[in-house]
Amino acid sequence: MGFLTVENLSAFYGKAQALHKVNISVAQGEIIAIVGANGAGKSTLLDSIMGLTKTTGVIKLGDNVLTGLGSPAIVRLGVGYATERFNLFPYMTVRDNLMVGAYTARDDIERNLDMVHKLFPRLEERENQETMTQSGGERQMVSLGRALMTSPKLLLVDEPTIGLAPKVCLEIAEVLRRLRDEFGTTIVITEQNANFAMTLAERLYVLEAGAVQIEGTVESLRDDPKLTEAYFGH
Amino acid sequence: MTQIIIQGLLLSGLYALIAMGFTLIFSIGRVLNLAYGAYLLIGGYVYFYFAQMMGMPKLVGVLLAVIVGAAMGLAKYRMIVKPLKGDHVAIEISTLILAIVLQSGVILAFGDSSKILLPIIPGVERLAGATIPYSNLLAAIVSWAILISLYFFVNKTHTGRAMQAVSMDAKGAAISGIDSDRINMITWGISGALGALAGVFFASYTQLTPSMWVAPLIISVAIVIVGGIGSIIGTLIVAHIIGFMEIIVTAMIAPELRGVFTMVLIIGVLVIRPQGLFGREEL
Ligand SMILES: Nc1ncnc2c1ncn2[C@@H]1O[C@H](COP(=O)(O)OP(=O)(O)O)[C@@H](O)[C@H]1O
Ligand SMILES: [Mg+2]
Repeated sequence: MGFLTVENLSAFYGKAQALHKVNISVAQGEIIAIVGANGAGKSTLLDSIMGLTKTTGVIKLGDNVLTGLGSPAIVRLGVGYATERFNLFPYMTVRDNLMVGAYTARDDIERNLDMVHKLFPRLEERENQETMTQSGGERQMVSLGRALMTSPKLLLVDEPTIGLAPKVCLEIAEVLRRLRDEFGTTIVITEQNANFAMTLAERLYVLEAGAVQIEGTVESLRDDPKLTEAYFGH
Repeated sequence: MTQIIIQGLLLSGLYALIAMGFTLIFSIGRVLNLAYGAYLLIGGYVYFYFAQMMGMPKLVGVLLAVIVGAAMGLAKYRMIVKPLKGDHVAIEISTLILAIVLQSGVILAFGDSSKILLPIIPGVERLAGATIPYSNLLAAIVSWAILISLYFFVNKTHTGRAMQAVSMDAKGAAISGIDSDRINMITWGISGALGALAGVFFASYTQLTPSMWVAPLIISVAIVIVGGIGSIIGTLIVAHIIGFMEIIVTAMIAPELRGVFTMVLIIGVLVIRPQGLFGREEL
């Protein structure tokens, strides 16, 4: 246990507090899911790990303390992030978007590009297309691909399936699973849909109003009435 | 006719060089740098001081002008743009004030009479009835060489792509490991260096005066408005439209009207196509 550890993490937007003493621990090679409704603080949690918010508490990756470092340093230490809104570079081609992802991992470009093209053959076919003209599914692929170009040991994926067609969701899930199985990447995803989260993750943390309410393995939570009631509606 | 084409090409090359540093800051830093003309002013005077008053080699003079220009760009980012982060009106007003302060400084140091810069390479070439000073030819060649290098730098290097990335999506750039502060410093440094270099050529094209920051600023604004936000290719094309228009107006109508047509073009484009002819946010 404890490749990524988040201890007593609180996050703030001005005076408003968005996370309240969150504790999370992720083992190497594990896939975990942060489940929560809209506004629960999922994106804030991932942003905080990435050094993008004002926080108190401690975040560690392996032996490195991430707290207080800026995103560029955190990327260099091995954290990749595919955000909810993708944050792609709209007037750049797919390939240039991926190349920006390689900014810190310049020695691994060929290997990473190869891996991305294997996982998402579509990105190779469309490598000269500008991302502003792409569909949501394709953008999600570029976003994941760009994160993979940073050579991450830990991959954060914010709501990988939001707004995507069911078929594309399955494709994305399959890729994340392969990433973990074939490349040993540790993965943290967030989800509003607990069903989808359970098909992919080994453990879940349920976030409500910025605090962890429930945590446990998928097996132990599958029949949890509290969870069933709140998150299987969709 | 040949004369118009040759003069048009030379002037357009110079205009493209003048506008490039301004475009860079406008599209990457999202700042309308109204003190941009001051880089040209200082560049021209630094060259004048070292190469003409101190008698140093001309190349050294150009180099010093470029270095001072880059330092000015960096200083401005550090001392004005970054502390005022995002407050566009404050940044624009303070950059304008800075330009005026620098103009007064130049008057204090060098007096307010205009000065003739000795050509970097003396002599003229006569071609098909046109007289081409070697300096103007050099300006156009240097300008083309710089524009081509800049195009490759921005599109084909990690730093160049990072500059575009920061302008298109700051969060996307940050999570790709890009330190936007460092990229902004590089951008402002390059912009200052380009401006100062353009200043040396502009001053030798016209003359050195303390108010020589105004005309290049207007040309730059015109090129950015007509071309649309910051494409290098767009800047190049519009520099040629404006350059040729001015030469044609000067030759066929009246030299006094050359600036007027540029203004009419700006207003026309603003009314008809506010995003500019090639308007979109790319480099
Ligand atoms: N940039 C921001 N400024 C102020 N408040 C924010 C900002 N981003 C998120 N919040 C607030 O923080 C809380 C958590 O939001 P978020 O992390 O986006 O939730 P989720 O990703 O689970 O939908 C919400 O109450 C939201 O309104
Ligand atoms: Mg969210």
